[in-house]
Amino acid sequence: MNRTLLDPHLPHAATLTGRRQLSVDTALFRVAPDPSAMEALAGLIPGQFVQLSVPGGGEVPISPADLPGPDGTLELCVRRVGHVTNLLHRAAPGDRLGLRGPFGTGFPVSEMAGSPVLLVAGGLGIAPLRSLLFHLLRHREEYGEITLMYGARQPDLMLFREELVALGSSGGLRLYLTVDFAPLEPAGQFSCTVGLLPDLLQGFRFDAARSYAAVCGPPPLYRCLAGELEAAGVAPERILFSLERRMRCGMGRCCHCAVGQKLCCTDGPVFRLSELKLIPEAL
Amino acid sequence: MENGYLENAGLGAFIETLRLFGELHGPTLSDQGVASFAAIATPAALRLDYRRTLIPPKKYLLPFREELLSFCDGGYRSAASLVPDIVLFGIHPCDLDGIAYLDAVFLGDPPDPGYAARRAGLTLIGVSCEPDDYCFCSKAPGSAPCDLFLSALEGGFLLAASTPKGEAIARSARQLLGKAPAPPQQPPSPRGIAPQDPQLHFSGNPLWERFTDSCLSCGACSVCCPTCFCFDMREYPQLLGGALRLREWDNCLFKTHGEVAGFNFRGTRVERLRYRFLHKYCGFSPLQGVVSCVGCGRCEAACPVHIDLRQLIEPAPDPMDGAPP
Repeated sequence: MNRTLLDPHLPHAATLTGRRQLSVDTALFRVAPDPSAMEALAGLIPGQFVQLSVPGGGEVPISPADLPGPDGTLELCVRRVGHVTNLLHRAAPGDRLGLRGPFGTGFPVSEMAGSPVLLVAGGLGIAPLRSLLFHLLRHREEYGEITLMYGARQPDLMLFREELVALGSSGGLRLYLTVDFAPLEPAGQFSCTVGLLPDLLQGFRFDAARSYAAVCGPPPLYRCLAGELEAAGVAPERILFSLERRMRCGMGRCCHCAVGQKLCCTDGPVFRLSELKLIPEAL
Repeated sequence: MENGYLENAGLGAFIETLRLFGELHGPTLSDQGVASFAAIATPAALRLDYRRTLIPPKKYLLPFREELLSFCDGGYRSAASLVPDIVLFGIHPCDLDGIAYLDAVFLGDPPDPGYAARRAGLTLIGVSCEPDDYCFCSKAPGSAPCDLFLSALEGGFLLAASTPKGEAIARSARQLLGKAPAPPQQPPSPRGIAPQDPQLHFSGNPLWERFTDSCLSCGACSVCCPTCFCFDMREYPQLLGGALRLREWDNCLFKTHGEVAGFNFRGTRVERLRYRFLHKYCGFSPLQGVVSCVGCGRCEAACPVHIDLRQLIEPAPDPMDGAPP
């Protein structure tokens, strides 16, 4: 018997159309899906992810750094860190790629309407939150105060800095940038403070009871921020963590990405702290 | 429904009849003396007295390694595969349960095309069994999901078809079938496992430490499990250009299972054993609350250090047991 069903493993064809180096190991890739994929990707919600195929390497789950543009182009912020991402960083505009998705839950953007939103990003965690941030700013009147706290290890690893500073000075966004270390240059030159995100949060006054908090960063960040955000008065149902796991199939089958009994690829990757509290080893 | 009685003497002819419905496979003993499901050349090769095969019948539905996609001329395409019709004869109820569980995983939304094609070509003929010390299956005889089930009675088998395919097989073998001489025996009471509360087993039980200390992370328990289906997808560039994407069995006991670039979410053995426990006895979404252990006893029989995760869920021995009155 021939396989006649639609193959959920088959990526849509896509083409690399451009790249912008953001730091020594991270770049923003512009990927244009073929028309057949545009319909599926048009419904993308901030926080969802796609499986990006690099021929000869395989797939990696990437949460786009913005929703698809009018021409359907996706912006994917990718660090060169493993086998597939190394191949991607060697790719040239015009090279063929593949895209499956979107997968997962994403941020509950309609539920968040009317509320202040605090975004906390650590390192590469800025990528999915940039997509949420742009969504919030495009619908600025629907949301309360919007704050972004972004921490990077050192000034030259801060991604999208100029873009974010421009948004911060336009008035619609309260922006706090911080770095763990500022070895040579005075931090003021980069208009950011020196310190960790939880420290930044401690001195921050905001309408915690009404706020949503969206967090994305390296695993230790979640453990620190869960306590800090709750102590500040944010409801655990409104603390949204975008978790990283090894999502391979995206369909809840391959069983690499379970968080407790939930699967990061279908039940997440955006989880509420209230769900995660019941799951030992989730954070 | 019951479709008649097959005397032991008619079994050879019945097995030949099955060849009309596809390539015949069943339990055999390999050259190395390992019980395994394989193609049956002659009825004499069948070993219906087997206890359990080393590798469960999941291999017919999820090959250890299969081609999923190929990349050439600038695009990916699905692997075209021709799937033979196979009649799998002599499966025990626990393994039939295992296949039913895999069906729930792979025929859900969206259905897996490769699995669906192989499943459609597979005819399942179950046979009742004699449990040994490792068995703890949960199904009453006759309730296992298959096309045709043979319950062993003294001197023969009682046939019961539960699908049109099973009915068709019984019809084509009708000249071999007679009337059952005696009513079937009373089914023994099921000894299954209830779904477990994941919260209960994350701390406290000293068994976790004992298991962690002895587990070799060899993964045998997962390889031989009829419901373990974790898979990885790997892509390999080809020498003459293009690439192949393969799907291969993966194993939650292996250190790489929870690894992402720069981090491992299950870097310790206890985390991996807990992961396996959660998957088997608590279930992952959307099969949360569904126990996927079918009681075949393979994992305990295969484990080189005799770990039996079931001990974690058996009630602690009553301290009054054996105490003087």
